[in-house]
Amino acid sequence: MSKKKVTLKILALLIASDILETAIHFFFKKSVLAESSFQVTNVSSAALFIKTAFSSPYLWAGLFVVVCVFIVWSTILSKIDLSVAVPIASFSYILVPLVSIIFLHEQISLLRWAGIIFILFGVALVSLSSKERVA
Amino acid sequence: MQTPLFLILFLIALTSLCDTINQLFLKSTIDSLNFQPTFNILKILKFIWRLVRIPRLWIGFIFSVISLCIWLFVLSKSDLNFAFSADSMHYIFIALASGLILKEHISRLRLVGTLVIVLGIILVSL
Repeated sequence: MSKKKVTLKILALLIASDILETAIHFFFKKSVLAESSFQVTNVSSAALFIKTAFSSPYLWAGLFVVVCVFIVWSTILSKIDLSVAVPIASFSYILVPLVSIIFLHEQISLLRWAGIIFILFGVALVSLSSKERVA
Repeated sequence: MQTPLFLILFLIALTSLCDTINQLFLKSTIDSLNFQPTFNILKILKFIWRLVRIPRLWIGFIFSVISLCIWLFVLSKSDLNFAFSADSMHYIFIALASGLILKEHISRLRLVGTLVIVLGIILVSL
């Protein structure tokens, strides 16, 4: 039964995949930032939108990180349930505000702190559920 | 021209769904390999090499690419905060699919934990 437990090793991998995941979002947002005025109305303009996005170096940097995440994520899934891995990966929602506080000295609203505490509490519950014995 | 809200919501639901399908294919392919996780990079790379040669995995990748294209479009049209909080429905899809299709045991504790996380994500993104 101990086979599917969330160990420290798996937790380290999950946090690593979260940090990489955050980097992906950053790169992808950067790659379409210049295109916010873009009008996608039909198939040919959609194709042009994709083509322009792919010409941005940020998108390729993002795709490189996607490959790294795939390797880490596959290793995680070889050990634990999908319904445990995905909720625990929501750590990235906490990492971004924490980075903003520590490195950017941003003010975090009370509402956001409440959200962070909810996420932490939920992650703890899901982790505990991986230790339950299956009846 | 402003993109209507319901269209954005629909597109976000669609990317979440594509993502969930991709994860299902990935997880079921990995389960079929029966790999023991290690920190040995060589072993991990060998495992990845075996993994990417299984055709079933690539069906998942197709959904992942569709999801990425829709997501890029959504990001160019809507506020990042809103997109992220709406994307938290992804967690509910995953829990449902893991239980129904992968036959994972979704205990009450796991379900409550997942719902608390979704609530937290919505609060963070407000």
